[in-house]
Amino acid sequence: MLELQRNVIFGQFVETDSFVHRMDARVKIAATSVLIVASFLIDSFLGFAVVLPLLVVIGVVSKIPLGYILRGSRIFIAFLVFILAFQVLFYPGDVPESSYLWRWGILSVSTEGLYTAGIIALRVILLYYVTTMLMLTTSLVDLTNGLELIFGPLQRLRVPVNELVLVFVIAIKFVPIFIEEMERLARAQTARGVPFDEGGTLTRARRLGRLLVPIFISGFARADTLTIAMNTRSYRGGRYRTKLRQMRAKSSDWLVLVLVIVWIVIAWMV
Amino acid sequence: MQPHGTAPILELKGFAHTYLEDTPKANEAVRDVSFRIHPGERVGIVGATQSGKSTVVDSFAHLLRLTPGQVFYRGEDVAAPGYNRGRLRREIGIVFQQPESQIIEDVVGADVAFGPTAVGLSASETRERVEESLNTLGLPYADYRLRYVHALSGGQRRRVAIAGVLAMHTPVLVLDEPMAGLDPRGRKELLELLIKLQRDRELTLIVCSASLTDASLLCDRFIVLERGTVVMDGPVREVLSQADRLAELDITLPEPVVGAREMQKLFPDFPTDLLTEDELESALLERLGSA
Repeated sequence: MLELQRNVIFGQFVETDSFVHRMDARVKIAATSVLIVASFLIDSFLGFAVVLPLLVVIGVVSKIPLGYILRGSRIFIAFLVFILAFQVLFYPGDVPESSYLWRWGILSVSTEGLYTAGIIALRVILLYYVTTMLMLTTSLVDLTNGLELIFGPLQRLRVPVNELVLVFVIAIKFVPIFIEEMERLARAQTARGVPFDEGGTLTRARRLGRLLVPIFISGFARADTLTIAMNTRSYRGGRYRTKLRQMRAKSSDWLVLVLVIVWIVIAWMV
Repeated sequence: MQPHGTAPILELKGFAHTYLEDTPKANEAVRDVSFRIHPGERVGIVGATQSGKSTVVDSFAHLLRLTPGQVFYRGEDVAAPGYNRGRLRREIGIVFQQPESQIIEDVVGADVAFGPTAVGLSASETRERVEESLNTLGLPYADYRLRYVHALSGGQRRRVAIAGVLAMHTPVLVLDEPMAGLDPRGRKELLELLIKLQRDRELTLIVCSASLTDASLLCDRFIVLERGTVVMDGPVREVLSQADRLAELDITLPEPVVGAREMQKLFPDFPTDLLTEDELESALLERLGSA
């Protein structure tokens, strides 16, 4: 059967009550941002090798099973491989004749092409890993509060911070809901004789197209319902609200942030 | 009413299912469910929310990851490698809780025709089936054939979904909460229609519900589920006679049974295996007469 929820974990939250889960959301968001910046700055394999242990530590401490993350990233990785194959084959750079490994018309495989593709792959994987980890370990409420507090000062410049954060968080958290919905639709259509669980990869992928229209319709319906629900409860954005639970960063949280920054600087320097 | 001597059409043997098994999101929906359903039976699968009804329904047509050796259709293991799942789904018609999810096409006629076309029926046969199914469900073919599904009311959409399944002429018809969201008249009409259909086509009818109100008039046998296990299985009246237990399981009782339970305050041994208000009335008159 089509089991999308197994193969796409983007946007999921998994409670394991680990140290990472208990960290202050603002610190986690800040550390994630540092790692995102790092993914752009680091441009050598050695640099990424230095970052790797940090990622392993985050993974282990978060107590989220590696198998779950890997299986949940299958579609993402397949997509990445597909894109990178093009990157290698159509590598546009100036390549000395000696580094061509294979050539056929405009298609080629060169050591430069492979190197660039490798770096891009690592960058994208780092980006994906840290954002996925942030979402796996941070609840919707914490994520929203954290982002609102971080960007709160922009409110003075009349930036509608609360609304923007809300839109961002809803967009991310709708992903798992949509995936569940797609699975349900696929099951119902399978029962009527559209075999989503038969045929090759391409046939299966094409059948997913059948779900797009109903998914769109239910997406709009859902957004509509959410709007009505928020209006009936007089939602006006966070700046008119006070919080029962104030966020307080512990000294260990700051220590983690400093550790991440130092680690990244070292990785960037090497 | 179990016709003995015939082989079961559907059989579950120790069926268990955990959604997203081996992940932190694992959710055990069904722990151990076993039963046999014989051809022509009218069975109600009853239980509160989270009891595992929908999971059991999905298992019939192999719409879940199944462990071999747990689900059998006409004696064959549906999870065996190489089993023809396409044929299985052409023989077991399922109407889901939310009918919207199983409507594939935009236009009523095209949607009802989807199944027959997929099976490879000729255009004229398909047309015949569409006409017959829509008319049966009280959606006159000429009037509804070209209407857009999204412009229909909830009740009409459910009828379209049922018509789409009926057009397949499946020997087994499964309905998951068919009465949810229908007004009293819609319920009555659908109930009469299902009884008639079952009789005319000798269907094996399986109805899932958290409420016994309509199911008690539609079914001969109840299988009661609680948290993924079978807690009661027997003829309707036998199950209804244990009304207190059913109420404990958070299952909505039919009105005559609710009345009977009230009567038990006066007459502790008042029977609860009542299907209609007439039966309640005569049971009451009997008590009053003897008192």
